Amino acid sequence: MSDSAITPRAGANVDFRQVGKPLPRIDAPGKAHGKTRYAGDYVMPNMLHAKVLRSPEASARLTRIDASKARALPGVACVLTHVELPDRMAPTDIPGQTGRKRLDTDQQILVRERVRYHGEPLALVAAESAAIAEKAMDLIAFDLEPLPGVYSVEDALAPGAPVVQGADNIVSTYKVRKGDVQAGFAAADTIIENTYHTQFIEHAFLEPEVGLAWVDENEVINIRMSTQVIEHFRFIAEAVGVPHNKVRILGSLVGGGFGGKEDITVEIYLALLARATGRPVRLCYTREDSFFGHGKRHPFSITHRTGFTRDGKITALQVDMTADAGAYVFLSPYVLLYATVASPGPYRVDNLHVDARAVATNNMYTSAFRGFGAAQACVAHEQQMDEAAKALGIDPLELRRRNFLRTGDPIATGVPIESAVWSDECMTRAWDALGERSEERGPIRIGRGVAAYQQSYGRITWLHDTSEAWVGVEMDGTVVVRSGVTDIGAGQVSALAQIAAELLGVGLTDVTVYNSDSATTPLAGTTTATRALYMTGNAVRLAAEAVRGRLLDRAARAFGVETNAVDMADSVVFVRDRPQTCMSLTDLVATCASEGIHRSELVMFRAPFTDGIDAETGQGRVHPDYAYGAQAVEVAVDTETGEVSVLKCIGAHDVGQAINPDAVEGQIEGGTSQGLGYALSEELIYENGKLVTPSFSEYLIPTAMDMPRVQSIILESRSGVGPFGAKGIGEPSLTPVAPAIANAVADAIGVRIADLPITPEKVVKALASAGRGP
Amino acid sequence: MYAEFDLHVPADMDAALAALAENGARGPIMPIAGGTNMIVDLRARSVSPRALVSIAKVPGMRGIEIDDARVRMGGRTTVSDLLRHPELGQIAPSLVESARLFAGQMVRNTATVAGNICSGSPAADLVPPLLALDAEVTLASRSASRSLALADFFQGYKQMQRRPDELMIEVSFPRPSANATNSFYKLARRKGDAITVVGVAVAMRVEGDACHDVRIALGSVAPVVLRASGAEATLEGQPASAERIEAAARAAMEAVSPIDDIRASADYRSHCVHVLTRRLLTEARAQLAREGAGA
Amino acid sequence: MKDAKIIRLTVNGREREVGALPNETLLESLRGLGYFEVKSGCEKGDCGACAVLLDGEAVDSCLLLTWTVEGASITTVSGLGSVDEPHPLHKAFIDRGAAQCGYCTPGLIIAAKSMFDNDTREPSEDDMRLALSGNLCRCTGYTKVFDAIDEAARIMRERG
Repeated sequence: MSDSAITPRAGANVDFRQVGKPLPRIDAPGKAHGKTRYAGDYVMPNMLHAKVLRSPEASARLTRIDASKARALPGVACVLTHVELPDRMAPTDIPGQTGRKRLDTDQQILVRERVRYHGEPLALVAAESAAIAEKAMDLIAFDLEPLPGVYSVEDALAPGAPVVQGADNIVSTYKVRKGDVQAGFAAADTIIENTYHTQFIEHAFLEPEVGLAWVDENEVINIRMSTQVIEHFRFIAEAVGVPHNKVRILGSLVGGGFGGKEDITVEIYLALLARATGRPVRLCYTREDSFFGHGKRHPFSITHRTGFTRDGKITALQVDMTADAGAYVFLSPYVLLYATVASPGPYRVDNLHVDARAVATNNMYTSAFRGFGAAQACVAHEQQMDEAAKALGIDPLELRRRNFLRTGDPIATGVPIESAVWSDECMTRAWDALGERSEERGPIRIGRGVAAYQQSYGRITWLHDTSEAWVGVEMDGTVVVRSGVTDIGAGQVSALAQIAAELLGVGLTDVTVYNSDSATTPLAGTTTATRALYMTGNAVRLAAEAVRGRLLDRAARAFGVETNAVDMADSVVFVRDRPQTCMSLTDLVATCASEGIHRSELVMFRAPFTDGIDAETGQGRVHPDYAYGAQAVEVAVDTETGEVSVLKCIGAHDVGQAINPDAVEGQIEGGTSQGLGYALSEELIYENGKLVTPSFSEYLIPTAMDMPRVQSIILESRSGVGPFGAKGIGEPSLTPVAPAIANAVADAIGVRIADLPITPEKVVKALASAGRGP
Repeated sequence: MYAEFDLHVPADMDAALAALAENGARGPIMPIAGGTNMIVDLRARSVSPRALVSIAKVPGMRGIEIDDARVRMGGRTTVSDLLRHPELGQIAPSLVESARLFAGQMVRNTATVAGNICSGSPAADLVPPLLALDAEVTLASRSASRSLALADFFQGYKQMQRRPDELMIEVSFPRPSANATNSFYKLARRKGDAITVVGVAVAMRVEGDACHDVRIALGSVAPVVLRASGAEATLEGQPASAERIEAAARAAMEAVSPIDDIRASADYRSHCVHVLTRRLLTEARAQLAREGAGA
Repeated sequence: MKDAKIIRLTVNGREREVGALPNETLLESLRGLGYFEVKSGCEKGDCGACAVLLDGEAVDSCLLLTWTVEGASITTVSGLGSVDEPHPLHKAFIDRGAAQCGYCTPGLIIAAKSMFDNDTREPSEDDMRLALSGNLCRCTGYTKVFDAIDEAARIMRERG
């Protein structure tokens, strides 16, 4: 089904020369040749090395901390404990330049008295070498008096439970009251109720958190580091107690983020140590530090009670979801909101009732992770659709088809979806691409599964998101883009270059992008929320269009034609109908320069601004737009050992307009592998709050032997709100993968395993309890 | 790294053994070969040697020699060496399979046969096949050298017969006869580069209908990699009927004493010992029947 | 504190000397010499980001003590070719979009190079996956990495 109601937006009719082409990214040669300098690759003369001492307990009172022996160790420059810190907190709210009042969720910088999670920082050390700093940590004496803790949401919600945050450990709630759920259930022929569980997940970026800080001659604290968010400079300034304009973040190309470098990591520690010592300080987390040093993906328990008519139409949906927020609030309220909005999935549900809560515990705090609540919601709604299909005796794809949203339908929050909803096309094409069914042999069973999703792109609209970019043409016709955007590996910067190259008629390699410097590049906002291309892509598009307009105006005057008759390509400006009437871009730029015609433009792009949703009903606009797509997989399950192999994996997504199809495929392939790990092997295990899996030999992300070659199907509705009608693909690529695999396993063995990850052991147990053992 | 120690890099065996002979009250002196376990342990501070003796530069300890009677591997033979040998895959498919699934390429290129054995880990992947192949290890010290059965080498969790002044210089096993087979299955939580949850190695030979020299070795299911001798006895000298294979698999399951850990429960491990032993024995029987029919 | 020793290495064809303590790893030494393309990801041999060729074989440089590789020849990803004269693996990784964040890329290229040189010039799908199973990548899902290695194998086959 092609949604013909959708007409391409302005810009989509451009005859693309750069956009839409699978060009090698501008950052590729540096990376392949090992020339790219990451934040950890910078050194400075007289540099110190820092370490963070962490609490070995999850819930305790710090009764004594004595660093005198550590300070006396030769080579130690500085040890900071809470005693030396000013009476300040670290902001943990959503970052950026929105100017909105932030949530009251600040965190202590170092433990003052109460330890709330295993690994909470107790002290900072700076020394002449990392080895000395490590030795110094051994010499810091401290006493921790154990306190009763809560290590599950059930414990945290029990009457009289120790309080970790707020009055009752409930750090955030959302609800949706839409339509009449009672009437909807009354009208149902079948009501299906199930509960699904997800686990703590680690981002596992390969580059651990790292930064290098120094205080310059203007008393500016400079921090060169690996982060998704240079806009944290303000929070860092507030935590350290200096004006906003005295902290500068210089981002480098980031060695993976996935939401794990969205919160502040090493910045405040570096700023404090650099100020305390007056020397450059480098802090590079070990892998173990990294497991302790940033927030995780929230575990959720999600119960769906769904009413269906006999022919498979949803009549009502009641969702109850609880997320483990861990010891500090961080972005839990936003993650919970996203999960709430995504809870019914890409389906039209007129009678919807959602209750959602995030609960503080003494587990590691949880925060942003690619998929951001919508991924957890998808694990539930897509398994529920398969369970319903089984109960109703309807093909799972057909059941979905009967309920998919269509453009103009209201989503969970009551606002109509304005862009294309190509869920059915994506699902059908992904499913068809599975091809011949693999053969079952001996104890091996084959299963197939599908999952569809709705994932927002762009930030919450009441955060009033903006993004700035500067585009200019140099005297030799090369192009410069300046934007604060951070590139976390998805090709964010290269996509901006491709947009500028398209609009200014130059080759991709003629564009240089200066990015990720909070002092010198216009602030673009965070590289999070699948917003970089949407927001900064639009800003670059608008800036480049403005420059293009002025250049073409001047050329048109020279050619004696109307501006719209002139085009530019291959660094030549020409009359479209008679290309022999032309001049080089260099000549045109020289003319403009000599006449004082501006060859650059600074633009701010604004997302839609709203004031919030109704707190009682959850109705109102939350996001600029949504992306839709589907995943189909085939698995083989060894019914004796429980081992699951994913044989085929197809992601089909409407990306609106692919700026670089290779980069889009890269997102789909990578999102698929993260989803595969989510489904089958990844799990952070906290035993009474203590992390027992802090390494890559215990926390198992997929290897080259675990991943099938992923097939990507890119659909382009050109209906998105990004540049040239683009939507987003960063988060959407991951969201449907785990439930598709869960559905395939259930299809293979006839039993549903409702809590991730689906380990071999759970498969064997499920088969045994269902009496289907081999 | 933070751990501090002395390091000797002797150029020959005599110097290596002399350095190890310095072991004494001032703290242990430990040999290091590939280092793929040792470096991790040093970082984690789970070992604190006074000094390490690297055998990286000791000549003659690396290589595989095969004659009509035995397969001999120098102690410093790497896991990749096992994979690259042109004949070993035919002779000892179980050992090559365990080498294939051993960690990742870089570790395989560095880790050594003796190092894997001397790690003492019940999850050491080369050990189940070597046990099933009746391997023998040779330990040398400055004063003497001795050989003993690998089955006698392990005494308890990370407890081994190697004295601190000894170096494991060779590992060997009798060349399996033509009517014999051996195989290995590694079960883990992930397909690539994962710690073994259950490892099962099986070897046997047939004469007429009867199985002989039945060996069943089980990894990650007890404090040491163990031989399931009761299970072996169930089949020894008997035809490998489905019933007997099942009885042997059950006996194997009863022989193990696994623990619950983050990778799997004891119950699951026991279940998999049963399933995988049965599977490997059944495949072994089928393979020998095919080969017998083909001969 | 133990005494440092001067260790001689050949790195990317160039004679280098490094003063190293007994507990210094090859990873630390190489980065100390400025070979920042050798990445640190776990320091436990779990991730492969620090892979280099040691006398032609891929190893995790985090697991080797520098003293024990005295006199060895080390090749990093930058030593395989230059931007002007790239190795087929460099070219294929660029052309096939096999690098995303790029942090694991040097290790992956080294692992692939070692496979071609020591194991097989015409890797099967299984060979390739086995050769790369010690290199974790969190961005790519490996699909374009496989494509790039296929492509490099093809280029090398054509060159003979």
